[in-house]
Order: sequence, then C-alpha cells, then structure tokens
Amino acid sequence: MVKAIEAREVRWKYLGREEPALRGLSLSVEKGEFVAIMGPSGAGKTTFVLTLNGTIPQRLPGDFSGSVKVLGMDTREHDVTELARKVAIVFEDPEMQFVMTTVEDEIVLGLEPLGLSREEMEERIKWSLDLVGLSKDFLDRHPYQLSGGEKQRVAIATALARHPEVLVLDEPTSDLDPQGKEEVVSAIRRVRDELDITVILVEHESEIVAEFADRVIVLREGKVFLEGEPREVFAKAKELKEIGVYPPETAEISARLELSSIALSAEELAEALKGKVSINQVRREADDGASRRLVARCVSIEYVYPGGIKALRGVNLEVREGEFIALVGPNGSGKTTLAKVMAGLLTPTKGDVLIAGRSVKEYGRAELARLVGYVHQNPDHQLFCQKVYDEVAFGLRLLGLPEDEVKRRVEEVLKLVNLSGLEDEHPFFLSKGEKRRLALASVYALNPRLLIVDEPTTGQDRGFCDRIMALLKALTRDGKAVIVITHSIPIAAKYADRIVVLKSGKVIADGSPRDILASRAVEEGRLIIPQTLKVSRLLGLNGRYAPLTPDEFVRAVSLTC
Amino acid sequence: MPTILRELTGIEAASTRYMGLHVATKILIPLFLSISILFTKDPLAAISLIVISALTCKLAGIPLSAMKKYVVVIGSMTSFIALSFVLFAHLPGRVFYEATLLRIEAEKGVFEWKILVTDTALSYAATFIARIFAMVLTAILLLGTVTDRDFVWGLRSVGLPFGACVAASLFFRGIQLFVSDFMTIREAMSARGVDFERTSLARRFLLYANALIPLLSLMITRSYEMSLALEARGIAPSTRAKAVYHRFAFRRRDLGITLTYLAVMMAFILWWLLW
Repeated sequence: MVKAIEAREVRWKYLGREEPALRGLSLSVEKGEFVAIMGPSGAGKTTFVLTLNGTIPQRLPGDFSGSVKVLGMDTREHDVTELARKVAIVFEDPEMQFVMTTVEDEIVLGLEPLGLSREEMEERIKWSLDLVGLSKDFLDRHPYQLSGGEKQRVAIATALARHPEVLVLDEPTSDLDPQGKEEVVSAIRRVRDELDITVILVEHESEIVAEFADRVIVLREGKVFLEGEPREVFAKAKELKEIGVYPPETAEISARLELSSIALSAEELAEALKGKVSINQVRREADDGASRRLVARCVSIEYVYPGGIKALRGVNLEVREGEFIALVGPNGSGKTTLAKVMAGLLTPTKGDVLIAGRSVKEYGRAELARLVGYVHQNPDHQLFCQKVYDEVAFGLRLLGLPEDEVKRRVEEVLKLVNLSGLEDEHPFFLSKGEKRRLALASVYALNPRLLIVDEPTTGQDRGFCDRIMALLKALTRDGKAVIVITHSIPIAAKYADRIVVLKSGKVIADGSPRDILASRAVEEGRLIIPQTLKVSRLLGLNGRYAPLTPDEFVRAVSLTC
Repeated sequence: MPTILRELTGIEAASTRYMGLHVATKILIPLFLSISILFTKDPLAAISLIVISALTCKLAGIPLSAMKKYVVVIGSMTSFIALSFVLFAHLPGRVFYEATLLRIEAEKGVFEWKILVTDTALSYAATFIARIFAMVLTAILLLGTVTDRDFVWGLRSVGLPFGACVAASLFFRGIQLFVSDFMTIREAMSARGVDFERTSLARRFLLYANALIPLLSLMITRSYEMSLALEARGIAPSTRAKAVYHRFAFRRRDLGITLTYLAVMMAFILWWLLW
C-alpha cells in the first residue's frame, strides 16, 4: 500500500550554508496517521516540511540527495503546484500567509486555480470555516484585524478548503496567547476527529503533541533522534531535555518517580498517584520585596491609541530592584502598551510613570534609555548597525562615553550573552538565537535599572527559553529589575518572583506565582496553568502550597507504597 | 471593508448608492475629472471643476471635512503660487499695484526686480489654486470610494491575469508591512536613546539610512516567507485561475454615469480648445 510520506536518506544543504540542514533523514508516515514532529530549533523540522511539497529542492537553491515520496509521487518529479493539490502546509506566522483583504477572498485565492464552480467554492468556504469553528460572519472581515487564534484558524481553513490528502501544520500555535492556542487546538481536534486525512504537526509544546499524535518523531541535527508512540518517546525525558525538547510535565514526573506507566495528562498522573503518595506542602519563600528600592512606579495610567482604542485603563504598578516580573494576559490586554509607556516610548493619555522618583516626561531620551531598557519582540527590528560590536556600542556612544570605556563595556556584555568572538560579524548573518541575545545585549549595555523584554520565548524551543530566562534571572541578582512579557505560564512560574495579570487594560492580579495561580485570575485572565499544579490540585493539595514545577513536585512527594 | 482614505486618515464615506457602483466606474470617474484638470485654463473653468468634484464627493457620501487635513498644505501652496506670479512672472495686463524692490543700473542696461500685480497674474494664480483644490477633491473621491480589494478585483474583472492581481494585492500588503516595520525600527532606535526631535537633520538622515539595514533584512525574510506560503497553496507566478468567484456586473447605471463624466471631460476639453 502506498504510504502518505516516505523519506529516504534525505540530505539537504542550503546554498551558502556550511552545515547541512538535513543529514540522511529517513522516515515514513502511513495514510490517515497523525504524526507529530518535535526537535530543538535548527533540528531541520521546517526544512523537512518544505521537502513535502517539493519547495526543496525545486524552488530553493542548495544540494539535495535522497528521495521524498508523497502519496507515491516523487517530489523531484512533480511540480510544486501539482503537489500543493495533495499537500497543504500551514506555517507558523499566519500573517505571512495572507495576501488578500477579506477572509473570503483569502480562501477563494486557493480555490480559483482548481477550476471549481462558484457553488462548489461557496460550499467549500462554508465547510472549511465551519470546521475550524468560524462563522460566515468572518467572510467580510480583514484577516489582519482578526485575533491570533482566528488568523491561524483562517489559515487552516484556507488549507482545508482545497481538500488536501496531507495537512502539514508547522508550529501553528507558537505565536499565540493561551486563548488563541485553545482555539487552534480545538480546530486541530475537529480535523483529527472528522476528517480522514494524514496530519503532520510540527510542535514545541509536548502537551499538545501528547493529546493528538499517534506517533512522535524527534529530530536532532537533521536526522531522526527518537521515534515512537508518545508514551514511549516521552518516557525518555532525560535524553529529550538534554537536546532542548521538554516532555509533558506529567511524563517527566512519571519518569523521575519511576512509575510503571508514563502519564501524558494531569488526570492520568493523579490517578496513578492517588493513595500512593504523600505530598509535603511547598515552603513559601519569605517576601522581602517591600524593603527593596523602588525603580518604577505607574500611577493610574491610561492610554488611548489615535484610533480611539483604550489600551490601558488606570494601571497602577510598582517595580522594585532585583524583581523578576512576568507580565501575562491575553493578546490585546495592554501588556506591550504598558511596557512602552514605562520605557517612555508612548506618552500616557492620563497618569504618570515615575522612574527613580522622577516623572518619565522629565527625562531626555538618552537619559531614560540608561534607566529603562526595552527589548522588542522581533530582534530584526532592533539591529541596525554593520557589526555586532557597533550594535552594542551604539547606545554607549550616544551617551558620549570615551571609546576605551565603550570597548570595556561591549566586551563585558558580549561575554555575558555568550557572543564573544563575533564582534566583527554582521548582525544580519547571525542565527535567530544569537540575534535575540544581541538585541538584549545592545539594550543591556546601557546598564538600565529596569529591563523590559517583550516575549523573548515566543516561537523558541524550551531549551532556548530556559537559557534566556536564566540569563535574565542572573541580572536580577545584580539588583536589576526585569519585566518579561510572556504567554508561557510554566516559564513564568519557574522564573518569576511576581506575576502581573493584565486584562482589557487593567491589572486584574499581582502577586507571587503561587498566589496568582491559586486565585481567580487564572480563569479571568484565561491562563493555562502548569500540568504539575493541576496534578497537585487533583491530589487535593491547596493551590498556595502546591508544587508548581516538576522539580518541586518530585522534591515534595514521597511514595507511600 | 475600509476604503484607502479611511485606512490613511480614519475618514469614512457614508453608505450611498455611489458606493454600490461597479469598481471600474468608481475608478473612471476620478480619472475623467483628473484629465479635465489638465484642460482648465481660466478661473471659471477651474471653479466649475471644483463644484463638479465637490458635488461628486457629496454624492459619494465623503464628508468634505476631509479637506481640513490638507488645508495647511493647500494654504502654503496657494501663497507660494500667488507670490510666484506677483514677484517673478511679470505678466502684462491691467496693473493694480507696482513697486520696485531692487534696481541695478549697469553699463549693459538696467536690472529691475519688482512686485507687479496685474489682472492676468491674479487670473493665473486663481486658476492654479483652483486646479490644486480640484486635484485634492478628485484624489479624495478616488481614495474615499475605493478599497485595495476593489483595485484587485476591479483589475480581475477587466481581464487582468490572476498572477498580476495577486501581485497587486501583495503590493498593497507590502506597503502596510514596510510602514509598520519602519515605525517599529524607529521606536527601537528611540529605546536605545535616539531623540529624533532633538537630532540634527544630517544625523537623522544617517539614522534613517541605518534603518534601511533591518528594513531590507525584514523585506527579504517576509518576501521569502510569503512566497513559500503562496507556493504551498499552489500559487506560482504562472498559475492561471480556471474559475472566477467574484463577478461584478457593469450595469446600465454604471454605463450612464461613466458616459456622463466622459461628457464632462469632453466639455472641458472643448472649453480649452474654443476659448
């Protein structure tokens, strides 16, 4: 029987790159299977996806060997447009997939070349939108005005409307807030339950993989590292974490407690542990926050965008030295606006921000940049010099520091972010992770007392997230205050001293991760709580004293039989 | 669907029957009026054109308050034009005012620079100013009644190939992305201590030149990602649409209105030729 996908010894090196992206990758997928592909950044996941519709090797320059057959069609022999009729790919960033100005036109764009009748096109538009949970009211909406989850569902609908036999979803949830993620996950659930098609899901989030996949393939350095059923693969938690792939927290706990079966959900783990363990309450750290010096204070801040959208509605917030704050909340809740107001990039419509006791309006730009650093989400927006060295030196030179002082500071900061030796490199040619660290270094070089980092973990593998968060945590030990905007509650719970939850431009909760995750803010802010906490609750432990991370859980638990 | 004027300025046209016209009609009317501007050579013709353009805007439901946005620009251009005709043109005619600003007598003759206000100079200045007003009104009419979607589907309905229409849509998308990227980069520079308001023009120019690096990098990345996404949907430059989803009927009403404005344009051409 013809397999849906059959890759044999696939090797691919992008033109101009020293290292190959795929190094003898072999795998096969049966028709109707739901296969998840995981792996650290740079493992070759997206490159492999591009071989499935022939973009590699037909459209991109590079060296290719081996073979990829999709539904029996060799991707070197059939044109991309022909393969695209059978294989639909949905990429990570929905915005980059939209060309037209209404949802209807966007779906129609892919249907007109198929030569369908108008009635058939109408039927398919309705069917595909319905499948991803969008009503026909969306037809006239502009794709760019939709929320993240809606955009990605429209992208999935445009793919499904073509009735592909293979659907490839390349990190469809990575740019989304928890609500958007939930919407897309529901759409994937319906695709799996209602359609008889082969699905390839590339995903970093192992909880999503564990819910859907029949089989998991883990890639590393361009080849298959591990392969098997989710339970089988996630049992190897230690090996996976070593390469930056984090299994579901429940699987990690199961493996570390040496349980006979690997649990893939909180319910499964709680069931397995019920009556067999006692959990000690986690000791709450003493809070010395109030005694620390105040760095920034937001007083009743309101901000209205020129179009009349009220982004902030009376925000009060205090930030103290050495604090690590996670700013969380759904998209559009005002997180980035608040950060920009605090950095003096936006002037509040009402209220004031006091930095080191003085109003932000009283500072000059350069003076303020020395006190509050703001790192944008996309490093490509922030790197504009010809050399890595000049990028870090840019702000220091603006301050008029002597060149030997600039040199000393640049070397120190590059060492801190592990970019020493790349001083003469053009920022354009750095890897994604290096760019992100350079963007951070270029702001941190000014030695700000408050550093605000906008979504540093979005779209990154968990290994990278841990490295960048550990780096930021280290800065707080030197007395810097750090605010990180993030959608990842497990990461916030692991690193932050405080979580501030924003919703509709208001702070709805502010406190320690333990207090926040035990409060109503979880429901109000639509936060997704870590699996470990869910297990603790199912086992009857009070939220405020319950373990939040697998490490805490394993330390707190003792097997009674 | 927001019109281009609404996207740029937030001004929205009311829902009128004009908005229901075929997109080709909505593009041809401002086109005919724009051509007419070229054939106005006296204040009366130019003012007539202003009246026709303003009435068309009114019919289309565009609030004429949209003009407020351009008052400063038009005002400064008007003053400049009036001054040019008075200070430099020295047009013959009935003199209303004359004053010598500079007089140099040399061996080879006399050089004089004077203010000369004549009926011809005033008539020319009035015509030019009125033409600018008409141009602004015509531009508002086009941008206030047409969306970028109209352009794309309008092009399709008059038989332009599928690939060209996708390219037109990508062009509009590209402009939005370019502007948004530029603003973010500017903001990132501010976050690193650049004060654009207190920076000299030369330094600002250098900074904007620097901004070209990330802009270029983003343009390459985005073009790459967009082309991959389009290919993945089976759309390549050579792709032909085998079916058309949107069909816009060019009705009698469209024909009648188009012919009316064509007649207006012809009238202005005749006026220009005969007077």
